[in-house]
Amino acid sequence: MNKKKHYTVSKILINIFLFFLVIIVLYPLYWTIINSLKTNNELFISPFSLPHKLIFKNYISAWNLGLSQYFLNSIYVSFISIAITVFLGALCAYGLSRFDIKAKNLIFMVVLGGLMLSPEVALVSLYKILQTLHLYNTRWAMIIPYIAFKLPFSVFLMRSYFISFPKDMEEAATIDGCNTFQVFYKIVVPISLPIFASTAIMDAIFVWNEFLFALVFVESKAITTIPVGLMAFRDALNTDWTVLLAGITIATLPMAILFLCMQKYFVKGLTSGAVKG
Amino acid sequence: MKRKGLMTIVLAACITMTSVFSGCSSKTADTSKDNGKITIKFLHRWPMEPNKSFLDKVVADYEKANPNIKIDMQSVANDSYKEKIKVILGTADAPDVFFSWSGEFMYKFVRENKLYDLTTALNQDGWKDTLMESQLKPFTLDNKTYGTPYSVDGKVFFYNTKIFKDNGLEVPKTWDEFIKVCDTLKSKGITPIAYGNQAPWASAHYIGTLNQKVVAEDVRTKDYNAATGEFTDSGYVEALKKYQQLIPYFNANSNAIKHDQARMNWANGKAAMIYCETQEVGEVQKLQGKDFQWGMFKFPDITDGKGDQSKLTGAPEGFVISANTKHPKEAIAFLKYLTGKEVGLKEVKEIGILNGMKGIYDTTNADAKVIEAANLINSAKDIVYWLDTDLNTKLVNVYLSETQLLTSGETTPEKMMQKIQQTAKVVKNETK
Amino acid sequence: MKERKIAPYVYIFPTLLLIIIFVYIPIIQNFYFSFFKMSSYSTVKTFVGFSNYKNIFADEIFYTAVINNTLYAVISLIFQVGIGLCLAMLLESRFVAPKLRTFFRSIYFMPSVISITVVALIFQFVYTPDIGILNGFLKAIGMGKYSHAWLGETKTAIFSIIAMSQWQYVGYIMMLFIVAIQKIPEDIYEAADIDGATGLQKALFITIPQVKEMTLVTSVITVIGAFKVFSEVYVMTSGGPGNSSQVLSTYLYRSAFINDEMGYASAIGVIIFIITITLSFIQIKISKSGQV
Repeated sequence: MNKKKHYTVSKILINIFLFFLVIIVLYPLYWTIINSLKTNNELFISPFSLPHKLIFKNYISAWNLGLSQYFLNSIYVSFISIAITVFLGALCAYGLSRFDIKAKNLIFMVVLGGLMLSPEVALVSLYKILQTLHLYNTRWAMIIPYIAFKLPFSVFLMRSYFISFPKDMEEAATIDGCNTFQVFYKIVVPISLPIFASTAIMDAIFVWNEFLFALVFVESKAITTIPVGLMAFRDALNTDWTVLLAGITIATLPMAILFLCMQKYFVKGLTSGAVKG
Repeated sequence: MKRKGLMTIVLAACITMTSVFSGCSSKTADTSKDNGKITIKFLHRWPMEPNKSFLDKVVADYEKANPNIKIDMQSVANDSYKEKIKVILGTADAPDVFFSWSGEFMYKFVRENKLYDLTTALNQDGWKDTLMESQLKPFTLDNKTYGTPYSVDGKVFFYNTKIFKDNGLEVPKTWDEFIKVCDTLKSKGITPIAYGNQAPWASAHYIGTLNQKVVAEDVRTKDYNAATGEFTDSGYVEALKKYQQLIPYFNANSNAIKHDQARMNWANGKAAMIYCETQEVGEVQKLQGKDFQWGMFKFPDITDGKGDQSKLTGAPEGFVISANTKHPKEAIAFLKYLTGKEVGLKEVKEIGILNGMKGIYDTTNADAKVIEAANLINSAKDIVYWLDTDLNTKLVNVYLSETQLLTSGETTPEKMMQKIQQTAKVVKNETK
Repeated sequence: MKERKIAPYVYIFPTLLLIIIFVYIPIIQNFYFSFFKMSSYSTVKTFVGFSNYKNIFADEIFYTAVINNTLYAVISLIFQVGIGLCLAMLLESRFVAPKLRTFFRSIYFMPSVISITVVALIFQFVYTPDIGILNGFLKAIGMGKYSHAWLGETKTAIFSIIAMSQWQYVGYIMMLFIVAIQKIPEDIYEAADIDGATGLQKALFITIPQVKEMTLVTSVITVIGAFKVFSEVYVMTSGGPGNSSQVLSTYLYRSAFINDEMGYASAIGVIIFIITITLSFIQIKISKSGQV
């Protein structure tokens, strides 16, 4: 009898605690949204109440003040980085897992070594290198370093996956006269779609939110991505905070929605990589 | 067949690499001359209103009047501008025409041969004579001029005339009178001075003014020069102590508030005074409309200070041309327009800013407040440049971060000056 | 036949090339630059030997940064790993209905997918003195006297930033632990039940030891992350007030792009490199030991 009561009481307390945590997580987001719909004056007078009138104009201002451009740039940069990373990474992983090259392990170590090198350390040199290549202040100034820094992890993920399934079908295809590339895209690729998805998502999280390179290697507002754009946005708005809050809300939506729809792949990516991001 | 497959792979790899490298060079190719149009890259520090729209229109008008010129305009906000410009100037992508503060800020670029010498151009067609000499001097080094002024600026106290009247206060002329005014306000529960130092340049303006009023002029000039700076005069400690006297009269949490927010609070009547730049007149009027009653007065005289009390802290801001510009003639033409009469008249009328031209304002086109500001500036014998653009970067860093600590009571004037002296030694050695 | 020999290299080549040019070479160059004095806008390079390093070790801002990074690491360990594990255990326990589990999991995990800049900007509003959420909350529960200018005071700035990171990442680490816990075979628990073990005993003596490897891995990535942190600090305080919230990366950035001391910045980079690579080595060793 006692044990059961003990259990119920614990259960209630624990659930209350968990709901309390939910509030801590959600409240700042809720506050951001309700205040993004107020006028600036109202924000300063009563920051915690619901808006009197819904001022959607803030969202339109935010969008027009440059947020639309930042969005497009983020999407462009993310898409291209992810596509090239997955493509090159898959090729490399395929090469490393399916062929017997003498230097196989050495090369893999070199690729993997890239994981341990952090972007901050490369900052000054990359800045100079990009200038020499005349890539500074172009979209490629972000895309290429993103690819280079994410390839190690992607190769690692995909190689583990490739190693784990048998070569029979590929060997059959080779005997039938296919060259290596045909084997690759006819057989390996279709089976690997799940791992491609997970790799792409892990990449996406990094690239969409990357800040340091986007800050230093790019100058022009026309190609700035969201993370840095929001900062410029904040400075340009001075004290126009409700528009800033609207901008923040717009910037958060895509990732939040993507997450809610594709939770499965997020978790898969996490676990198969054993968190080497 | 096998051969074909291998070729496909090699081709694919080559395409990837080529597109990666050539795709980018085409993006940065010399786009400065397509369809016969010449593109001038223009960078300024006002992504916010009211200056943003103003410059947008100014540029659009110029493009209409000069159909073969295209102006590629970018803006970076004040606080980031100081960092960004150094980075950009180090690349091949430097803008043709860009904003610069005068004084040491600009001089360091001159020393690195990054700026275009305008002396010859200024001497042609009497361009030089249309500009105020006192405003060209800060853009001149070793008798060569590198920039022209877009806005003349001085730091004064803006004050809420209604609050003063309601409390029987008069504009203070000396430091002691000033402190008394602050005391009275504080005792009535009114915040005497609005102050936002989260971006620490705000403190530089206070310290700069105090330095110039307390320390003897020749000593200060010697110390501000990187090659001879020592900062051992006791006047510097005195200046900091005077700053400390003001701390109880500032609003709370000044290190957590930006200057713009402090100004907004003042314009909303939450404080009596704020130390501002005359070019902020336009922004105050935008905030509060023409019914807000306010006025200006100069920083009070420090009667026992050894410095020159009649000088005003301030320095013109303007535009310069990159030494590497591919279109010097067109860049100069644009610069002349930007800092000339046509734009200048509009500047005064629409955004309340005075540029460096002689006789650019009168009662017909200038707002009363702008005229008040102009008179204050003109009545000063001379100007002393901003502390944070006039000193070597290392010294500025120490001054700014230490003053933040001084403001929160975490260091003392003596300790702070010790750090300044140490840094001055390092700077002196580097300047050899 | 010839194809078989060349083909693999063709597959690997682009990746290898990119990584060598854009990852390895910059890091090596960074070592090289650390022995010079350079500025961002001039082309002059002066050899100064070890003096950058000498200056770093005499620089009190450097020590502030190292202390801040360490604080970051320790607090993150306690919250992200410690509380993350506890939350994971709670959510996987019978105290929480299965339907609620997905709900809680998603909510707690969500902050980690939001852009850091967004989180930093939101938290600026949380911490702002007059209308901010935190001070408002304190006032509401009668603890108004504990209000602070969280980001404007030297004693609270770095902790405020660290707190924000915990809000963002506890859910992420928790998720990793959940996955690890789900891999624990049921029989062990059943055996314990038969022996009459309580919930707490099961947690202490079964769950925690079983997720030992995940604990080690998450600890290492948390600590590495703590030493690499940049955007949070940069966006919220730029290292201020004074230099109280500087961390190694922001100090590197400041030296390179504000103080024009690129050689000095490179030297700081070398130090970050040494710290993170040591930690990475440890991490690889650990994950390797548990892998097939």
